[in-house]
Amino acid sequence: MSEERPFAIDLGRLKTREKPSDAASLRAADERAAGLGFVEREPQGKRGRKPSPRTDQVHAKVLPPIATEIAAEARRRGVVQGVLIEEMWQLYKDKSGI
Amino acid sequence: MPVIVIASPKGGAGKSTTAVLLGTELAHAGAPVTMLDCDPNRSLTLWSQRGTVPAGIEVLSGVTEAEIVRTIKPLDQDGQVVIVDLEGVASRLVSRAISQADLVITPMRATTLDATIGARALALIAEEEETLDRRIPHAVVFTMTKGVRSKQHVGIEHSLRRQGVDLIEPALMERVAFSALFEFGGDLRSMPPQGNMEAAIGNAAGFAQAVYGRLVGEPGR
Repeated sequence: MSEERPFAIDLGRLKTREKPSDAASLRAADERAAGLGFVEREPQGKRGRKPSPRTDQVHAKVLPPIATEIAAEARRRGVVQGVLIEEMWQLYKDKSGI
Repeated sequence: MPVIVIASPKGGAGKSTTAVLLGTELAHAGAPVTMLDCDPNRSLTLWSQRGTVPAGIEVLSGVTEAEIVRTIKPLDQDGQVVIVDLEGVASRLVSRAISQADLVITPMRATTLDATIGARALALIAEEEETLDRRIPHAVVFTMTKGVRSKQHVGIEHSLRRQGVDLIEPALMERVAFSALFEFGGDLRSMPPQGNMEAAIGNAAGFAQAVYGRLVGEPGR
């Protein structure tokens, strides 16, 4: 096919123009766009705690001071917190005769 | 650099074909072109992987809503062109891209459905112009047109003109070569002949020249 240019571009005439991109301007534009149905449609990241790589489970939550103590003990022994919970459960079963 | 946003909330209107034809023709005419693929269907990326990307063109893939403004900003310099290809949905990504546009092109097939849904893009531009207090030049290009215009096509065209909408001429006709870009990659000059190539190249170049005229303030160019 022909390499001849049907038209030529004068790069000196391609000028950029100032466009507002500050957070307030974008927020205002987002709000007006939402009124016309142009809303956020991108998939959201999964919220919450990630499953444990060891058990593939999400650990139960405990009160903050207890969580701190369990974490400190696990760090001291060099194990993950789940190991301590498994030991606690074994103690509980032994105590309760389960 | 002028930022050209190809936007229509209607799927299948010819946005990616318009983006590739415009990018390759502007590059052929001597402009450095960066193409942003913001469509999760990755049409531009697939085109770029099909063959050799023509000289002067760079394709950036997977640009998201959170990234669009900060991706455009450093590219927005004199003497180059950025073309943004968007997904055919009404999304915040579309509105953010339009906020950074020097020209918005809405491809539209000459059908009532395309015109009705495409009009939402025009309404959005009007809202953004008011919100951002700046003029956002915009134009419609008819795509996949036939040699003989239907009554419906003529009616839609008259209606848009009455509303003061800028219509880009020439329209992009339905051509085998245009759809074959996504089979062979590259541009109209590098692909194996598909139908009447001279007419296809003339159509695409005429369209790109009309867009260039709008970028430099000479719409009749």
